[in-house]
Amino acid sequence: MSTSFEASAETEVVLPAHLHARPAGALVQAAAQFSSTMEISYGDKRVNARSVLAVMTLGALAGSTVVLRARGADADEAVKAAAEVLASAE
Amino acid sequence: MAEPVGIVLVSHSDSLATGLRDMLLQIGAANLPVATAGGTDDGRLGTSYHRIGAAIASVDKGSGVAVLTDLGSAVLTARAVLDDLARTDVILVDSPFVEGAVAAAVIAATGADLATVRSAAEEARDVHKL
Repeated sequence: MSTSFEASAETEVVLPAHLHARPAGALVQAAAQFSSTMEISYGDKRVNARSVLAVMTLGALAGSTVVLRARGADADEAVKAAAEVLASAE
Repeated sequence: MAEPVGIVLVSHSDSLATGLRDMLLQIGAANLPVATAGGTDDGRLGTSYHRIGAAIASVDKGSGVAVLTDLGSAVLTARAVLDDLARTDVILVDSPFVEGAVAAAVIAATGADLATVRSAAEEARDVHKL
């Protein structure tokens, strides 16, 4: 547990496409624009959203749900931006 | 934002190196300086000291250059070039070629510094496909 009153945010996204290389790359680009740390989870796997290789190993399929969790001052904006990128992936 | 870190792909095969570069540009690194040094000066399979040096110079924008190699003599030739350059901001990355390049390019495109690019690529050694 964090001992500070750090902001955190969480959102679910239903994937319109498999989370393969291109959308994973786009997610990293989105996450990197914020100071908050971000994780993405799929089933019981949870990885750093800024690691493109780790995101690809999730093997998340179209139609399934992933969860984005951010922690930091701009956590709200970060999960919103990342969710938008994932929701518009092809 | 500072210029992104440059990426150099060194392979025995020109088509392998250029194919990998095409992948990187699609995966989100469209505006990244990525250069290839594939094959010998006369177009055979092998590696070229001259081509590696030229590739490094072409992506050297002031934020450093990460050099990735396929295997064998690509590593030896790249190391010879880097030894002669003797620059701390032009580094050889110890990673799988494809996975390391993808990780390096995606993070470099976010404006990450050379140390972050290197660690993202080297993380590829421990990431399983399955």
